[in-house]
Amino acid sequence: MSILGMDQIRALFAQEAEVRLADLDRLLLQLEQHGDDGTLIRSIFRELHTLKGSAAVAGLDDVSRLAHELEELVVELRSGALAVSPAIIDTLLAGADQLGRAISGESAGGPAASPAGAEPTVAELVIDGKPGAVAGADSSTQGVQSTPVPEPGGVVMVQMERLDELVRLIGESASAHLRMGRMLMEKFGVDPTLNAEFNELSRTLNELQERAMRTRMVPLSTITDRLQRAVRDLAREQGKTIRWDVRGADTELDRGVLVALSDSLLHLVRNAVDHGIESDAVRVAAGKPVGGTIRLHAMQLGSEVIVAITDDGNGIDTTRVRAQAEGQGIDTSRLSDEDVLQLIFRAGLSTTTFVTDLSGRGVGLDVVRTSVEAAHGRVEVRSETGRGTEFRVIVPITLAVLRCLLVESGGQLFALPFHRVVLSQRFDQSGQSSAEGLPVIWVEEQPVPVSDLASALGIDGGPADGPIVVLADTARRHGFRVDRLVGQRDVVIKGLSSLLPHLPAVAGASVEPDGSILLVLDPPGLIQRARQGARGAAPVQVTPATSQARHAATPADAPPPEGSGAPLQRILVVDDALTIRELQRSILERAGFQVRLAVDGLDALAKLAEEPSELILTDIEMPLMDGFALTEAVRAAPGLTNIPILILSSRSSEADRQRGLEAGADGFILKSGFDEGALLVAVNRLIGARR
Amino acid sequence: MSASDALLVPVGEDLFAVSIGRVSQVVVAPPLTRLVTAPSHVLGLFNLRGQIVPLLDTAALLGLPGGQATAFAVVLQSRHGLIAIAATAFPSRVGLGDQVGPSDLLGTAGRYRVKDRVVVRLDPDLLLARDRPVRAGENTVSVPPTVGATEAVGAITSGGAAG
Repeated sequence: MSILGMDQIRALFAQEAEVRLADLDRLLLQLEQHGDDGTLIRSIFRELHTLKGSAAVAGLDDVSRLAHELEELVVELRSGALAVSPAIIDTLLAGADQLGRAISGESAGGPAASPAGAEPTVAELVIDGKPGAVAGADSSTQGVQSTPVPEPGGVVMVQMERLDELVRLIGESASAHLRMGRMLMEKFGVDPTLNAEFNELSRTLNELQERAMRTRMVPLSTITDRLQRAVRDLAREQGKTIRWDVRGADTELDRGVLVALSDSLLHLVRNAVDHGIESDAVRVAAGKPVGGTIRLHAMQLGSEVIVAITDDGNGIDTTRVRAQAEGQGIDTSRLSDEDVLQLIFRAGLSTTTFVTDLSGRGVGLDVVRTSVEAAHGRVEVRSETGRGTEFRVIVPITLAVLRCLLVESGGQLFALPFHRVVLSQRFDQSGQSSAEGLPVIWVEEQPVPVSDLASALGIDGGPADGPIVVLADTARRHGFRVDRLVGQRDVVIKGLSSLLPHLPAVAGASVEPDGSILLVLDPPGLIQRARQGARGAAPVQVTPATSQARHAATPADAPPPEGSGAPLQRILVVDDALTIRELQRSILERAGFQVRLAVDGLDALAKLAEEPSELILTDIEMPLMDGFALTEAVRAAPGLTNIPILILSSRSSEADRQRGLEAGADGFILKSGFDEGALLVAVNRLIGARR
Repeated sequence: MSASDALLVPVGEDLFAVSIGRVSQVVVAPPLTRLVTAPSHVLGLFNLRGQIVPLLDTAALLGLPGGQATAFAVVLQSRHGLIAIAATAFPSRVGLGDQVGPSDLLGTAGRYRVKDRVVVRLDPDLLLARDRPVRAGENTVSVPPTVGATEAVGAITSGGAAG
């Protein structure tokens, strides 16, 4: 006699089936790519066979019967009686979907099912010229209802709230530990940092905090199967041959971020199939290989994750985008092709030009951008006519930890999320003017209004010659003068009590290690507030820069808008990874540098022979000629020997660092510690001072 | 009602009271971080063992002249987490007895007599509701869950005027 009741058995079965069906989907997609792979076919058979048995135990005869039909098909594949073909895979995938629906209690036929009684069986759906279909499940399938849906790929399911609670408790322990240290000092005059046990506990607590944070992370692979399936189905539907290539699927990010991102990624890959890759005939005519490739390449860089979706299709037709934009009254005559590309993220434009109803939801690229930005990320696009398009989605690893620039204003410390910081600079009278009653500075040839952060926040300000931080929201940039820049740090952000009124300029707060509270500002809300309140307020005092130090390439450093002054500083970026190359390019160009790209050491030397650079930024591991060899070659070449070289590498050993410096490099940045600020500081340290 | 079912919240010359069941704990004038851009009745934020708790000016919440120095923060539990209201003198524990009349201010729930003083009972839900915003998508930041009582209220009864 069974100890478990039928309900419990069905609940267990639903959990098991969820995982098995996900595996089945993945195996089928692999089978399609690899053809007749005996091992794969055997694995598929095993999954179906187990499902059939479990369903029978759970009393779900219809499910069991469906699984049996699919199993029969796989038997024929295994025996060689049937060959693996897209049609067969179609059938098996459709069958797996049908199984999923039957298990979740929906009609086995799905929404498009024929009238009851005339339900097509799996076998009929599938095999051309193969009569004698087995009777399939009918629409009265008895399913398992309201059972918990397990997370795919998880080993133990833990509610997010429990993890949050864990993280919070660890934070409390850490702050209690700090209080204890203070007490030791104050009451007993013992310096706790001289005590090995105390330091050991500090270290363990830090590590515990880090590990606890990690428990919220999931690999990107938890959604890549779904993306592959979407690509595959749509490609079949449109009769296109498409290869799917995933790299870096083990890159981890916060589950919350991934959930926020998954629809956008789905949309981008569908877009790539629908609008990116040409039909096979067109590709042949253009002399391209038959069958396009869609690549999903993910990697962690510093505290951010970059997901690049690349297709080798026809690229985005900027002429058409221009026409669409003009139709909406946007003057594109003065926009470069690159600027025109950015227009596809505008509402209205994207929906008409780039989105068909294929997702059935009419989601445009403007929605992609909005949802990526809601996850504190950004999306970028590059496209080359005839060569393809790349969308890059860049998000922080976790929403709970946000890389922030810390500033002091009105005597209070504030954190500004780094992804919204365009640049920070010393106050400089020469780069300033006024427009419509507001002080304005030039940033990348655009006038940017400047407010005092303290007055924008309604508190008393500090000295009038503090540095300016330029922040950006989706549409605008705004400069804020602060008392001083304090540094940058990962901030564990918490939302404010929902009992408080909504404060658009405040994103949340964080408990600092010393127990104090740090406010994290929300740049879009802040910009809005500054715009509303700025006019009529006392203008920011213009005072000359008092220090030689430069924080970033600033408009004051960069050439004047007319281009009549000094030429742009040229930087050669050498890296074999497209994403890293392009990321560096976007950061450096945004900071006002002229950037050229090379894919390896040899390519770099060729580019340098054409035209010199003021700085070389190179990776170490590259084909043909690596970064060490490039550095040595540059140092040995008479015309190039004085060019500063910055090495950016994932190799962290002291030996590599030493070897780079011995070869003649001027600086070494680790990719793991890479971020926009670190790169610009290093670059400016080397060539900012030479100007 | 039991003998000591409420906590007095002295605010200037007035005495208010909250049901003891709603009080998580009492904190002696915590160091505050100014919450910029917030309305003036939000006195600031303080750290309660890792939790960020807002402190509200009780007088200002009720529409009375506020601004008196906070001597104690009375931390209340609510469905939306911990929130504190300011008291200008020590909050002792009392029994309210029977209601002696209705009260006028929004967020209050009747007048009570304690010895020779009139005590106005607060309804925390109503009192705090004025600030409860209607947020479309809530916050995108993952917010730790509401936790229950973190400390027994008994801890503060020793100096109270129980009776």
